[in-house]
Amino acid sequence: MRAAWIIAMKDLALRIRDRSLFVLAIIAPLVLALVFDVVFGGTVGGEDAGLDLSFGVVDLDAGPLSDSFVSTLDSIAADGLATVTGFGSSAEAVAAVEAGEVAAAFMLPAGMSAGYLAGGGAEIEIVGDVDAPTTVGIATSIADGFASASRTGAMAAATALAGGAIGPGDMAEVAVEAAAAPPPVTLGNIDAVTRQLQPPTSFVAGLAIFFMFFVAGAGVTSMLEERSEGTLGRLLVAPIGRGSILAGKSITSIIIGVGSLAILVVASAYLMGAEWGPPLGVAGLVVSAVLAVVGLMSLVGGLARTPEHSANLQAIVGVTFAMLGGTFVPIAPGEGILATLQYLTPNGLFVRGLGDLAGAGVSAAVPTMLSLLAIAAVAGVFAVVVVARRLQR
Amino acid sequence: MGGNGPVLEAVGLRKRFGDLEAVRGVGFTIDPGETYGLLGPNGAGKTTTISMVSGLLEKDAGEVTIAGLPVTTTALEPKRLVGLVPQEVAIYPDLTARENLRFFGRLYEMTGKALAQRIDEVLAVIGLSDRADDRAKDFSGGMKRRLNIGIGLLHRPALLILDEPTVGVDPQSRNAILESIEELSAEGMAVLYTTHYMEEAERLCDRVGIIDQGEIRAEGTRRQLVESIGEQDRLRIEASGPLREVSARLGELPGVTGTSAGDGVVEVLADDGGAILSPALALLAAAGVAVSSVTIEEPDLEAVFLHLTGKALRD
Repeated sequence: MRAAWIIAMKDLALRIRDRSLFVLAIIAPLVLALVFDVVFGGTVGGEDAGLDLSFGVVDLDAGPLSDSFVSTLDSIAADGLATVTGFGSSAEAVAAVEAGEVAAAFMLPAGMSAGYLAGGGAEIEIVGDVDAPTTVGIATSIADGFASASRTGAMAAATALAGGAIGPGDMAEVAVEAAAAPPPVTLGNIDAVTRQLQPPTSFVAGLAIFFMFFVAGAGVTSMLEERSEGTLGRLLVAPIGRGSILAGKSITSIIIGVGSLAILVVASAYLMGAEWGPPLGVAGLVVSAVLAVVGLMSLVGGLARTPEHSANLQAIVGVTFAMLGGTFVPIAPGEGILATLQYLTPNGLFVRGLGDLAGAGVSAAVPTMLSLLAIAAVAGVFAVVVVARRLQR
Repeated sequence: MGGNGPVLEAVGLRKRFGDLEAVRGVGFTIDPGETYGLLGPNGAGKTTTISMVSGLLEKDAGEVTIAGLPVTTTALEPKRLVGLVPQEVAIYPDLTARENLRFFGRLYEMTGKALAQRIDEVLAVIGLSDRADDRAKDFSGGMKRRLNIGIGLLHRPALLILDEPTVGVDPQSRNAILESIEELSAEGMAVLYTTHYMEEAERLCDRVGIIDQGEIRAEGTRRQLVESIGEQDRLRIEASGPLREVSARLGELPGVTGTSAGDGVVEVLADDGGAILSPALALLAAAGVAVSSVTIEEPDLEAVFLHLTGKALRD
């Protein structure tokens, strides 16, 4: 291990003297993220000041079912997670949405409770700000959750009636009570929607991992360079284990990778207002993502014959993973196999992990960290085998 | 170290690359303080041989021991005893001379003041003390070559292996390199030196192995090799006087195998030209011959190589 550190320190000194490292690892992702944020920040994601959970509600029904829904909204507001404003008419609510006073408004139509109690359907209309798709999505989730609870309430009343526990005249009251308690919707049910990064954070995270492929790949590529320059032979006749050489190269890549991501996290927070989440979780994700990328790039580099071959292979892999991971074009959850493939890449996993972190805390990001570490382990084992065979020749 | 035995012992080394058998049963020994030359043309198997000797390359067959320790690609102990100077300049151009030496010194477990002191000593030996803190990429070709050698001898190896260290070097640097090697040998270091420059082998090497097509064709001191092919020294005397008469008398001196006399020139063939020079001049003086010049032409390793392989060293 001592030899690996000596090699790593030498490589670090050489890499630091090569100023292109700073361009590739820090300046390029930061500048590109700034550009992306300026150009696309208002349209991709839209809510550049964070989630605006300001809801409006128009209760034209004033019946037991609409009361129950308003109570649900009030309980969310009481938890401090959203604001709820009542309006007297649909027109007032629409005007408030258009004016940006609220991001979405619920329209509870007249006769909603009566229709429900008569065994018919009930409809909640949502009017939302086009620039606040996430908030509108959350509003839809709240309405869906309430609808689901209402169906459960109707079923409970029907069951009670069939069992003789209540008479036909009590059925409406029982249905509303069953629908209203416990509160049908909490933000805990919609965290999949809230687990989204703000644009600056998302841009920096995606681009940082994209460039990380090139930074991390340089470790194994430098071994091929040492072979062509003759210094690898010197290392191989020195009294050190051959594994120390690959370990030294990997340590260099990991240190540079973690260091550059750490700088990007801090710099983007100060320069762009990026919000990364709990530091412990961010650190865990950064280390896991860097290990995964170093493992993959060590494997790719190990398959190459020359430094140029290695750089070309790594560029192909880096761009492919970035595209699959949604770095350049975001992939929506419903886009079939692409949505699945996204989470097989360090790129997609890293951004998802940060989203989990932002939406639900460190524990929610642990599965993503484990996935990244699994990629690191599998790719790393194959890389060791491939590179060891190369060193024997 | 293995007592008074050889520093290096190589027996029956073989290495094949695909259809090409690059080394075919090579074996030799080197004693402490001895400089052994592997002389052969490009592609003869010199670099493959020293790659196996230094533990860089796995051998297909044969054995190598350094100070009695078996050499393999994974055995670390014998590697501590070897310093390798590869044919290409194997240094880090973006590190200074001192940083290059420090890095490799630390790999050989040298640390602290002892390492710093040794680095200064080596910089002095290779003549780079005044450029110690300049990056190697700013050095001339000869200076890079000298740093390449300095790295190999930094850890005071029992065996220093140099693979054609003077290829592409200017005459001044070349002479400095050869002088350094002579000094190291005089200090007791065993040296394995590969070259295709006959004059370097003749100057440096106590013994020479002539290698061609993966085999050692002959081995010994320069004189043993020359004698093995029956070549003799030629004494050429330019003079005036009764040359034909004197030529016959010169043929009677011990060690002389033949004489001839021509227009102002007498030529004498002898096993050892130096040994008969003095009696020959005395005989000429006694016969009243006025000598204007004397040259001794010794058969060289080039002639030996030509005799053994049928081709010149640089073919």
